[in-house]
Amino acid sequence: MALLARTARKALLETRASLPPTCLLPLRAHITTQSHTLETGNVPDPLIQSGQRVSSDLKDKTASRTLSPRAPTPSTPSSPNARLDVVSKQITPSIRNLLPLLHSQPSHYMTLHIHGRPYLLTRGDTLRLPFLMPHVKPGDVLRLNRATHIGSRDYTLKAPEPIKGTADHGKKVFYLDERLFTVRARVVGIDTEPMRVEEKTKRRQRHTKHVYSKMRFTVLKISELEVKSLQEYEEVLKGEGEGEGQATEA
Amino acid sequence: MSYFRITLMRSGIGMPQKTQGVLKALGLKKRMTTVYHPVTQSVAGQIMRIKELVDVKEVKRALTPAEQKAARRPAPGYYVESRAAQAMKDWE
Repeated sequence: MALLARTARKALLETRASLPPTCLLPLRAHITTQSHTLETGNVPDPLIQSGQRVSSDLKDKTASRTLSPRAPTPSTPSSPNARLDVVSKQITPSIRNLLPLLHSQPSHYMTLHIHGRPYLLTRGDTLRLPFLMPHVKPGDVLRLNRATHIGSRDYTLKAPEPIKGTADHGKKVFYLDERLFTVRARVVGIDTEPMRVEEKTKRRQRHTKHVYSKMRFTVLKISELEVKSLQEYEEVLKGEGEGEGQATEA
Repeated sequence: MSYFRITLMRSGIGMPQKTQGVLKALGLKKRMTTVYHPVTQSVAGQIMRIKELVDVKEVKRALTPAEQKAARRPAPGYYVESRAAQAMKDWE
């Protein structure tokens, strides 16, 4: 048995020796069990240098889930259909010059905004709102504090025109300073409309359904509509300025 | 973490079914709806498919639908100065 094994080994050695060196063998397709993975060892250099290769920079970028530092910083969220109400706080030269003239004329009108809708009102007007105002009862006194126009016979103080919303910023609506005027409205009552009857019909049916509805509306009466004089307005501004100063000190 | 703010500026009506499917997947139902999605590759790829229809901006924080609604709402423009019931009580 041992002898047989030795002869077999010898035979193997002989066959290996008899083969010519590999470089002289005819060119043939290699059939190997070795896998051709994309290791740097067996991938040619030009392929590594090509655009297909994923650089370490790109890997970092995709891993970090944020954009490159050169990209503009993400802004604070504001949707294009958002709305920003801007109430002016400063006294402008035109207010300083023309408010005395506006104030000197007797009766005034204002464009007052309730829930963003404008109502042109003067003192003593009765306003039937197109909705039922919640949580108010007849006799309650409301202060209206959003106005865009204050006018008299010859002069009008206007707030700037509203700016339309774009992709970068929402709509901006400008209002006059609420310390320029005092408007009080009393809730007078609740108005109702006549009963509405809507006929609902279906095809090929003799039956007609009637739907009844009756809307209710709050009625306001403007009891006070006053424009402050320049002196009063400046005093208010000064008082608030002092108050703010104290607040910051304390 | 930053977010994509995606607003549908043009309707998907008349677009191929695949495009409309992308709109549905992103939650864009009708024009001018705004949705927020985290900045990821998959969302970026979805945006690329509908880039002609939407406006995209990268923002720091996603707004909830409630916050979006509050941002659209105008100021009431009034406040109750005195209640009639309280005034009667004081007078008596």
